[in-house]
Amino acid sequence: MYLESLTLRDYRNYEDLNVSFSPAINILLGENAQGKTNLLEAIYVLSMTRSHRTNNDKELIKWDKTAAIIQGRVNKQLGTVPLEIQVNSKGKKAKVNHLEQAKLSQYIGQFNVILFAPEDLALVKGAPAVRRRFVDMEFGQINARYLYNLGQYRTILKQRNQYLKQLQHKKNQDLVFLDVLSDQLAAFGAEIVHQRLIFLKQLEFWANQLQEEITQSAETLTFEYATHLEDAADQTIEQLYAQLQNDLKKATKKEIFQGTTLAGPHRDDVRFLINGKNVQTYGSQGQQRTTALSVKLAEIELMKEETGEYPVLLLDDVLSELDDMRQTHLLKTIQNKVQTFLTTPNLSGIARTLINEPKIFHINQGNLLEEEEHTVD
Amino acid sequence: MQYPEPIAKLIESYMKLPGIGGKTATRLAFFTIDMDEDDVTDFAKSLISAKRDLHYCSICGNITEEDPCQICSDPSRDQTKVIVVEEPKDVMSLEKMKEYHGLYHVLHGVLSPIEGKGPEDINITSLLTRLQTHPDMQEVIIATNATPEGEATSMYLSRLIKPAGIKVTRLAHGLAVGSDIEYADEMTLFKAIEGRTEI
Ligand SMILES: Nc1ncnc2c1ncn2[C@@H]1O[C@H](COP(=O)(O)OP(=O)(O)OP(=O)(O)O)[C@@H](O)[C@H]1O
Ligand SMILES: [Mg+2]
Ligand SMILES: [Zn+2]
Repeated sequence: MYLESLTLRDYRNYEDLNVSFSPAINILLGENAQGKTNLLEAIYVLSMTRSHRTNNDKELIKWDKTAAIIQGRVNKQLGTVPLEIQVNSKGKKAKVNHLEQAKLSQYIGQFNVILFAPEDLALVKGAPAVRRRFVDMEFGQINARYLYNLGQYRTILKQRNQYLKQLQHKKNQDLVFLDVLSDQLAAFGAEIVHQRLIFLKQLEFWANQLQEEITQSAETLTFEYATHLEDAADQTIEQLYAQLQNDLKKATKKEIFQGTTLAGPHRDDVRFLINGKNVQTYGSQGQQRTTALSVKLAEIELMKEETGEYPVLLLDDVLSELDDMRQTHLLKTIQNKVQTFLTTPNLSGIARTLINEPKIFHINQGNLLEEEEHTVD
Repeated sequence: MQYPEPIAKLIESYMKLPGIGGKTATRLAFFTIDMDEDDVTDFAKSLISAKRDLHYCSICGNITEEDPCQICSDPSRDQTKVIVVEEPKDVMSLEKMKEYHGLYHVLHGVLSPIEGKGPEDINITSLLTRLQTHPDMQEVIIATNATPEGEATSMYLSRLIKPAGIKVTRLAHGLAVGSDIEYADEMTLFKAIEGRTEI
């Protein structure tokens, strides 16, 4: 799939933008603070209904304005779909084909993107929460069931944590209700763990293939799902459910004492191993960078496999940070199949010869100018 | 400029209603001044009467003019079944169907610790008392919504009631009648498939 065109109204530092893109590579060129990341962010919001850099939707609205509109036409195998996100002070609306969607979860999945920003190196180096977020965002895009399970799980987790806090002050504790919440949590938790394991196996396959290419087979990349559940990979959903129930039961006293849920997939992690050694602890900077790149690029193939279409790739300031060999591999992976938007302050450091006829846009204070050809509004 | 006091007070009152902010309240207040005096009097009377003359039924928790309510005091209704719902308006919807002739029990909410609603904060104790004092009760049909909280409430009730040997059932969730499969979202379809019945 690819984004044919984009319209922005009162979005960040864009007042009124109307632009058509190349189905191949689009380069967004501009000085600092001109709106390059803002534009990628708009495309990301069009896909995910939320920003990758803020939880506060109101920040997306242009200062002194009351509502922001993002519209895009997405070209898919089955035709072109107009998508729209509106944000105002009261909330947001998501429209597919001009029809408002009652639930945001119904909207997500229409248009898939993968974003790669310098912060993504934290995927390897950062805290477990970074990797969980990655897993949840990416798998949620390709599988409606996963997104649903996740939504239910989060609601139940909030309720359960609140109830645990309330139990701290109660004389006669109603543990039957806690039990019910535990069962509910375990049911969705087991499904989430099961799905994560399946998707991670697929992702591992593609990521390793890339890692081997980039390192000329010197490095084998494997994933390990870190969880308190035993033998998780070989268990059925029912077995995972029983284990999780049991772990929650064992932890009850401590949970009430701490007022928080101590078992479940919201505490799990993913480890990346090169030749069997954890990259986070033992990897060199270069290895960590390659791993992050392989994992992200593997997402492209996983999405293709799960949804039948390639996603759109957003690269924020990363290409120039990669050496020539990694740039080559990245460009080879996306060539002729993945629509790509990449931002950069200048074209030096970018292996331009590898990029076939890119569309180049100069960004200046929220205005886009297409190179050589006509002016874009 | 300040609004004259009667208007200011009216605006303030309107703002106490759910979903009504300052702007709408002001519009409603000015609309009210332009209404016929008779209509305004009726309106005011209905407000007071709704509050004074309506009570919660001491048996089922539904809103009613007399206590116990019509349904609870109707001996021709099937005394072996009770449908448990979240709100009085759910009773209205089920009654409109005219197919069900058993009893009701209104919880006035669902279990939701975040909203400060634990087992003792919704109408559960009275349901249990009711079941204990009515030995001919055979089936409790739980019709809470298909939200995580509605499900938790349903599971909780079933744990309390089942050990007493009373049958507990849950309303099926799935496709709306007359809705097209094509337009159902994936989770609704999934739930509908999960809850399919043999024919
Ligand atoms: N809600 C908003 N309304 C108006 N302007 C905004 C809003 N939010 C951010 N901006 C402006 O957008 C600019 C940042 O744009 P952006 O992050 O896209 O920069 P960039 O081109 O990616 O720069 P860099 O190369 O430094 O990453 C800021 O200077 C800020 O003034
Ligand atoms: Mg930027
Ligand atoms: Zn009654």
